[in-house]
Amino acid sequence: MTNNKLTVSHAPFWHDGDSLFKMNLNIMIATLPAVIFGIIQFGAPAVGVIALSLSSAMLWELILNVVSKQKISIGDLDAAVIGLVFGMMLPATSPWWLVITGTLVAVVIGKMIFGGIGANPFNPVLIGMAFLMLSWKIFFNFDAAYVNYEFNFTALAPLAALKSQGVSAVADLFPISDLIMGKQVGAIGSTFGLGLIVGGIYLILRGYIRWEIPVSFIVGIIVTALAFSMANPDTYAGPAIHLFSGYTLIGAFFLATENSSSPVNRLPMLIYGFCAAAMIILMRNIGAYADGTILAILLLNLVNPLIDKIRPKALGKGANNA
Amino acid sequence: MIKRSFFTLTKPRLLYDLVEPDPKEPESIPIPSDLTLVLDEPIDSTRQALIKEGDSVEKGEKLRLYNQSTDYTISPVTGTISAIDTYLDDFGNTSTCLVIKNSQSQTTDTNSMTYDLKDDIASADEYFRTLPGAPPLKILASNTVKINTIIITCADMDLLSTTHQYITLKFWDKIKEGAKILKKLTRIPKLCITVPENLNIPGESDLIQVFKTSMEYPSNLPAMILKNHLSMILPAGKTPEDMGVSFISAEAVVSLATAYKTKSAGFEKILTIIGKQGTKYRAKATIGTPLHKIFNAFSIHINDQDRIVIGGPMKGFATYTHNHPVQPDMDTVIIQDRDIIPEVSDTPCVNCGKCIRICPANVPVNILVRYLEADQYEEAADKYDLESCIECGLCAYVCTAKIPLYQYIKLGKYELFKLRALETANDE
Ligand code: SF4
Ligand code: SF4
Repeated sequence: MTNNKLTVSHAPFWHDGDSLFKMNLNIMIATLPAVIFGIIQFGAPAVGVIALSLSSAMLWELILNVVSKQKISIGDLDAAVIGLVFGMMLPATSPWWLVITGTLVAVVIGKMIFGGIGANPFNPVLIGMAFLMLSWKIFFNFDAAYVNYEFNFTALAPLAALKSQGVSAVADLFPISDLIMGKQVGAIGSTFGLGLIVGGIYLILRGYIRWEIPVSFIVGIIVTALAFSMANPDTYAGPAIHLFSGYTLIGAFFLATENSSSPVNRLPMLIYGFCAAAMIILMRNIGAYADGTILAILLLNLVNPLIDKIRPKALGKGANNA
Repeated sequence: MIKRSFFTLTKPRLLYDLVEPDPKEPESIPIPSDLTLVLDEPIDSTRQALIKEGDSVEKGEKLRLYNQSTDYTISPVTGTISAIDTYLDDFGNTSTCLVIKNSQSQTTDTNSMTYDLKDDIASADEYFRTLPGAPPLKILASNTVKINTIIITCADMDLLSTTHQYITLKFWDKIKEGAKILKKLTRIPKLCITVPENLNIPGESDLIQVFKTSMEYPSNLPAMILKNHLSMILPAGKTPEDMGVSFISAEAVVSLATAYKTKSAGFEKILTIIGKQGTKYRAKATIGTPLHKIFNAFSIHINDQDRIVIGGPMKGFATYTHNHPVQPDMDTVIIQDRDIIPEVSDTPCVNCGKCIRICPANVPVNILVRYLEADQYEEAADKYDLESCIECGLCAYVCTAKIPLYQYIKLGKYELFKLRALETANDE
């Protein structure tokens, strides 16, 4: 009787088959409706920005892997997701150096120096974006970015217009149906509301994002915006324009939901989503920012570890049998 | 293997298997020429052993290593001891294995030694600890642990396993008989039995209270039975026995019934074997039989890199040899083809939260794992509920980063236990 070399390892001997690769691939698939729409809308430059953003993010991580002699980690597609979402948040006219500087900051400072995947306290994409916005604010003026484009809709970024011209002026400029269908000026992957929602619902159903976060986020937007506009309808816009323009929906489904920087317990997720959204509306309505999504989510990333401390009692611990 | 379904808005559900209706008789495996028995005590070369290689033993003879030994085994055959060796388990604990050369003919059934039994639990503990099903007689007979409830498990604890259910269907009368004996021996008033809710048991007994358990894993694990059927929350770090509850398998109860009738020990263990394609075979093999004899009987071929799992897919353990012997508590053996063995990774936790959703004990696995990886066991226990874990393995089953979480947790508990033992030793 020969004795074979058997595989010896530890229980459990089953796995549900999931992996980081599959999770990230699904996130990338979920961005497709919004990305493809953006490409159709903004043409070849959009393809360039997305492709450069995705590939440079992966390249930065690869370089860092090699330099610091770690295992090559880009196979899990985490850097690819960072690059892709980053690209979606840029105007199609962004110059090449802006893109690669942004992904450098996102991947290196946002993710790798904290220890790589799972260790980042902030969403890396937002770190990169915040850096670009602070350094080269001018490129994020979407009105200026698309001056050479011909659109068959109002060629003004809705939130900026809202800020500068007030509620009464924008009411007719941006019909809700236009906003939902992507007939608005904005970043490549942030304008097609319907597409983002479809992608987000896909991720929720597949269990790759935690539904509590986007749902409470959207509720937060609606409730807070409604509260403002009911208090003073002449100064503050209703929830619709807030929800369907700017980075709101990409924030709800692709930014706030980033695993490492968001809570995992139910109540904390609801608080986190709601507060991030409320913060966005506050910034838009009474702050200096036209959008505010990036800063608001970063802020909630910061307090996430505190919020996530609220969790159910573990079995056999605490009052019931102290 | 049950994979994640396409839509998983909620956590996955893993269901227990139900025994096939009207199950066939098990395949009887002939008694092999060499049998291996395991003794839960390391070899101590400084002491004078009671047994040595070359000693002849009789079927039913009680074997101990030393005069003071509390652990023993019973020889299932008449023959000679051909080897005494050290055996290492998963955590590096040592025990001893005895190889017995069988000198009785393989076909005729030699009678086993009969014992002089008294009607108390100590007397049962004297001879019957290693009966098929491994009755927890040591605990029941112990003076320090006070047991007030015995739970007979007809519902198998791990997935895929159906051995207990099979025994329940086939030997219901024996279970009732065994329950009567248990009651007489232990004087424990409360006897309960767990039965899967979808299984129809052949009858009722006014002696035993029936708990119908849910088909969803991990409802048959001891902590869940306590919670769902006895309304008891198992305090973190305590065992059911600490709470006065002892679990005994259906097979152990049946074995006890037979043993008391014949005043001798039985050695035939019933096993469910699950082949690579998921086919289930049922075997009856003598304790000590190497597993490959059973595989041969069912023409199961083992290749390099395949995995032999003893116990279920969630809580079992993998053996490195197909000579691994049948043991009193071995209910299920699974053979996994190397192509379907899921790999683990060294990726850190990405905080996806799947473990949090699925953990039945509300353990913050995502944080806990960080402390375990850093070997901070006290912190892990005090702040992050290491000891609340009921060891169901679900977190590792779903982990997106494929971290061997369950292994980390078990190792963590083991290290914590060692640390605490050291502390108490130092205090004294
Ligand atoms: S094994 Fe994992 S899922 Fe199961 S109780 Fe323990 S921590 Fe929770
Ligand atoms: S399932 Fe794994 S990767 Fe996800 S939070 Fe739990 S330990 Fe981390």
